[in-house]
Amino acid sequence: MKNGLMLFLGLLAAMVIPWSAIVLGSAGELGHQAPYYDETDGVTYPLRQPGTATRGELVYRGLNCATCHTQQVRREEYGADVARGWGERQSVARDYVYRANPELGAFRIGPDLANLGGRKPTAPDTEDLYRLLYEGSGGMPSYAFLFDDRKIVGQRSDEALQLTGRHEAKPGYEIVPTAAARSLAAYLLSLNSTYAYPEAKPVVIKAGEGSK
Amino acid sequence: MTHASTSPADSAAPAADVTAVESAGRLPLLLLTGSAVAWLILSALLTLVGVLELVQPSFLSGCAFLSYGRVEAMAESAFIYGWVGNAGLAVVLWMLGRLSGEPLRAPNWMVGGASFWNFSLLCGLIGMGSGYATAVPFFQLPAFIVPIMLISYCAMAVPGVLAWIGRRRDLMFASQWYAVAALFLFPWIVAAAYVMLDKVPVQGVVQAVVGGWYAQSLWALWMAPMALAGAYYVVPRVTGRTLPAYDSALLGFWLLLVIGGFTAGRHLINGPVPAWVSSIAIVSTFLLIVHYVIVALNLRPSFGGGGTALKFIALGVFAYLIEGFVDAITSVRGVAVATQFTYFDLAQTELALYGGITLLLFGSIYFAVPRITGRPWPSAGLIRGHWALSVLGLIVSVGCLALAGLKQGADLNHASVAFASIFDDVHVWLVGATVGGMLLLLGNLLLALNLACSVKTMVCEELFSS
Repeated sequence: MKNGLMLFLGLLAAMVIPWSAIVLGSAGELGHQAPYYDETDGVTYPLRQPGTATRGELVYRGLNCATCHTQQVRREEYGADVARGWGERQSVARDYVYRANPELGAFRIGPDLANLGGRKPTAPDTEDLYRLLYEGSGGMPSYAFLFDDRKIVGQRSDEALQLTGRHEAKPGYEIVPTAAARSLAAYLLSLNSTYAYPEAKPVVIKAGEGSK
Repeated sequence: MTHASTSPADSAAPAADVTAVESAGRLPLLLLTGSAVAWLILSALLTLVGVLELVQPSFLSGCAFLSYGRVEAMAESAFIYGWVGNAGLAVVLWMLGRLSGEPLRAPNWMVGGASFWNFSLLCGLIGMGSGYATAVPFFQLPAFIVPIMLISYCAMAVPGVLAWIGRRRDLMFASQWYAVAALFLFPWIVAAAYVMLDKVPVQGVVQAVVGGWYAQSLWALWMAPMALAGAYYVVPRVTGRTLPAYDSALLGFWLLLVIGGFTAGRHLINGPVPAWVSSIAIVSTFLLIVHYVIVALNLRPSFGGGGTALKFIALGVFAYLIEGFVDAITSVRGVAVATQFTYFDLAQTELALYGGITLLLFGSIYFAVPRITGRPWPSAGLIRGHWALSVLGLIVSVGCLALAGLKQGADLNHASVAFASIFDDVHVWLVGATVGGMLLLLGNLLLALNLACSVKTMVCEELFSS
């Protein structure tokens, strides 16, 4: 190869062609996807997040929780996501239309969280989440900085964590969630993808149709 | 150790082989190399902090700045933009200067660019610790430092572009194609990702597609070309012969560049994105095997031994080839079901970034630094130690992560295995991978020591001689 200009143009093409095909192609297909209006329910899905959950999403992003947690359920026969109760159906693009930054994630050192608030019957409550965040567990570091260890003044706070063993607060002290922990828990419990969009229903191939 | 002997061809640089390129570009090239090694060590230390937090949940639990997700983001960015960026540019600019046959022009642009690049990356790491990371793999840089990094990269690239345009020979070598590709393509892909993710974010899952395209392009259009540019230059220089099957090198080059971007959906298989995105990615990873094979064929003289630089390059080429095959196999949906989202992915990243890219860059650095300083490496023992620790550390860390990933994948796909017990199952392999990482860190400390001694000798001798 001798011609520098050809090399330069080739490089430009090597960047632009895959970018137009893959990125612009997907943007054209899904970049303006609308929420789904269910006429029977009279409700538009996905539901809008409450304000605290939106704040919690920023906490989730700021702590980079996506390093260990995915938010994408794979379809029923592909892996054990559904069998583990992480979701009742596969995640679809429409689940994320209102998300400012969808945190699909790439690693499952921790469980998938796409449908944490909608899990039946194992959805955790706020107190479970606080305890897990404060204590950590095998494979999950403790996020104790999301809590205040403060002296009890007057009455004990309703929100104070009920801890036992070595995590228990010192006598006269209580451990209460900060605003960040409260929003994070609200966000995690708002994650709910139980509504089945038409495109999320698996295609059932009738006997004889798919085979020769 | 089969090639324990170091031939005079590389580690003891003949003073006659020092050209005007080196005397003009000495300060900036050493600045880039030195900061690269510093970032590499910092990245390993941060990874170590992360592992300790996983194994011992209460470790640093009161410190938001060093919480797990943030530390991982810092370690990854320090590795990619700190180590690979600095070292790759040092190799690419040094080589473009040499091949142009002229002293490097505009070396001050490199000094300025490198200072701002490293300073803004440091600010970026502090930003990540404060919660501004973006959670896009390979692009976790806080939005506010991206423009500064982009501008400083362009400043650093100026001498390279000038050397390429002003080259004396019309004919270009494979190393020059790869070098020029890396110089031009990085700013374009970063700018595209910056606009689509930070400035005017696209809607919903399209962001994940952009992120996937960016990560795969960064590998195929920037990191791999920089590492290959060095290897394609050093191997024929050391062996003194033209590369075998050199005619096919052009095909290998264009395959990597054109197909690379199409692997965008590689890590989005069966995710909530259009299925054709991942289907194209699977086909593309298989097409890329041709590229990996061509590179291995071209660079096979490195397996014949002949000094430190070639040893590192040979192992690097081997890891690069294996990674190509493993990447293709694990992209198939039936295999991905067990390996995606697991430590196996991390093992592959380690094999690609540490095995492929880093070892190739080590080879080029071992060849280049004696020519830049005009002095042989101060200690052959440190080089041998670095080599042994790199081989051992790479095998242990990649092997343990891969085994952890296989176990984790099998467990994840059996709903009867309680999720909480999966971490206990892979715990021992994680400890193994950490040991491997520490071996690599130790080896890199030896490299840092050797480099520091080399620069110190150079500075002392020049000060006293003048």
